[in-house]
Amino acid sequence: MNRAILIALFLPLVALAQEDLWDDDVWGDEEQASRWSGFLEAGLGTRFNRDPQLDERNTFEELRGRIESDWTISNTVLAFKADGGYDGIEQGFVELRDLTMSLTVGGSLDVKIGHQVQTWGTGDLLFLNDLFPKDYVSFFAGREDEYLKAPGSAIRLTRFASLFNVDFVWTPVFEPDNYLTGERFSFFSPLAGTNVAPRPPLSAVEPDNSLNNGEFALRVFRNIDGREYALYGYRGFSKQPSALTDNLQATFAPLSVYGASLRRPAGPGLLNAEVAWHDSRDDRDGTDPLIPNSQVRVLAGFEWEAARNFTVGLQYYVEWTLDHDELIATSPTPQFLPAEFRQLLTNRLTYRTGRERYIWSLFTFLSPTDRDIYLRPQVALRYSDSWTLSAGGNLFGGSDNHTFFGQFEDASNAYVRFRYNY
Amino acid sequence: MMRQTVLVCAMALATGFAVAEPLTDADGIVARANLAAYYAGEDGRSEVRMVISDAQGRQQRRQFTVLRRDVAEGGDQQFLVAFSQPSDVRGTTFLVHKHVDRDDDRWLYLPGLDLVKRISAGDKRTSFVGAHYFYEDVSGRRPSDDTHELLETTDQQYVLRHRPIQPESVEFAHYDTWIDRATFLPMKIDYTDASGNNYRRVEVLEVGEFDGNPTVVASRVSDLRGGGQTDMQFRYIKYDLGLPEEVFSERSLRTPPRDWLQRSSD
Repeated sequence: MNRAILIALFLPLVALAQEDLWDDDVWGDEEQASRWSGFLEAGLGTRFNRDPQLDERNTFEELRGRIESDWTISNTVLAFKADGGYDGIEQGFVELRDLTMSLTVGGSLDVKIGHQVQTWGTGDLLFLNDLFPKDYVSFFAGREDEYLKAPGSAIRLTRFASLFNVDFVWTPVFEPDNYLTGERFSFFSPLAGTNVAPRPPLSAVEPDNSLNNGEFALRVFRNIDGREYALYGYRGFSKQPSALTDNLQATFAPLSVYGASLRRPAGPGLLNAEVAWHDSRDDRDGTDPLIPNSQVRVLAGFEWEAARNFTVGLQYYVEWTLDHDELIATSPTPQFLPAEFRQLLTNRLTYRTGRERYIWSLFTFLSPTDRDIYLRPQVALRYSDSWTLSAGGNLFGGSDNHTFFGQFEDASNAYVRFRYNY
Repeated sequence: MMRQTVLVCAMALATGFAVAEPLTDADGIVARANLAAYYAGEDGRSEVRMVISDAQGRQQRRQFTVLRRDVAEGGDQQFLVAFSQPSDVRGTTFLVHKHVDRDDDRWLYLPGLDLVKRISAGDKRTSFVGAHYFYEDVSGRRPSDDTHELLETTDQQYVLRHRPIQPESVEFAHYDTWIDRATFLPMKIDYTDASGNNYRRVEVLEVGEFDGNPTVVASRVSDLRGGGQTDMQFRYIKYDLGLPEEVFSERSLRTPPRDWLQRSSD
């Protein structure tokens, strides 16, 4: 289908929709009732250079619509949120973002059942104890930030008590990240020694659908005088297909995670610290070359308002791969392994002008050990309550093509998105 | 019956204030004004709508419900703000634990990411959700952040001048307030910059009486330098609901307390 025609058809349609001006009626009782809302969005992301592995130059080219609503029936809330549209790379799509039933039992237990997006932990775009599914494909392609988090079907129980609160999430069927398949981005294959974009696209072997293979996530948390403490636990699988089966097919290794975090005010800003032990249950001694080793991950961050409307965030993150000597000794491709202590620095700059009508931001990932970098500049213009325009880029660079960000050098792209909220 | 009682009480109170000798202590007037503007009742609920107009006349709107609870009269407070309009901020919630002896704790919940984002204390004199109002206008500026001088006492109002103790932390050189002698509500606030220009004005357009508390129901803040203004209206105001402390926790960010947020039937 010709994209230019598609967009030409779409834009006037949106322009026809009237601005919803303020009038006195909105104080009416129907204001609190359920209503349908959502948006229509046209977006395009394109690479600066062609990726020799891929025919498609664009990272995304889509027309997306959203509808959402919620209904309160007695003490139960039903919520629905879904996207659908046409994407030039993966054709038509429908994506359910939220279909949940929420209720409170006995005053202090919140229950939320269904398809839902979930987030916890203190990192900014770094996740140590948050093992809920993510979508790095959308993130790298230039879609709105919310698409970094993918929904999963789960039962979430949250118990509130004066001593501490407990969050428990059971995901009965393992929900992996939306990982790189080679469809939209090529990725580095250690076995091939270069970037690949397999056809058919990579399809990793998922754990069998048995109750034993569900995911369990736990968070115990408390806020004491503005200091937020949390302990975390997880039992499931690595969310990325970073292991290989005996037939050398990509798969998800069993994983348990134990961690803790703190977030508190400090001086002029906010301090966050988080630690997680990723226990690779099937390779505890680190000698199995097909399964990733266990890791200890540590994060420290600080964010403050450096000037009026200008916020700066800094994070230091390190991934310590345990039994690194064994990993080197048994790996068929030791030259491509990250350092024993893989370090990452991040910086977020946010500048708001025109009473938040314009938001300028730059997020930078920089790894001194991998010698690679990932820059995410963006400007978002809120033209009105209905119209927003976002433009930005995903810029990757590295000394080597086998490092995490270095492998995406050919994927560096710029994007633009127009959104009409209704 | 209830309404009549309230009216009689209010009239008695108003008359009482009118005949009272005017106060002469600037700090005392500011303390009373702070209580009148931000501490009415033990707690409160209000729906708020804002129309934000820029210099070109383009308008944006926000609608939200605010719940407030006083931890101590004139002291720490808690606020929960739940947005219902426009559609792209519907479901966003904002929690403030206001402290008098240290920086406020502030959290913002973004439903799309299920993210509880904490906001660094920093500069509170920045736009609240795109409006000409500042965060500090919503939860109140600490009286101890300024020195206060009584300039004039008229039949209706006290006129005061306030100078910041830390001038580098704010964009104004001083500001003047016109405080109603009967209700102690600040009816007008004019901000003046270092060159002596009055660049910003907050004014009360309408006051109502709710549960015995004189309450602002319409106000406006104007950008006198660049043009543009934000109009704010309050409805469904109620005091002394008995809001429990748990309402002002992370739980309410993710799961807004519908029983307290919805308009009561009475």
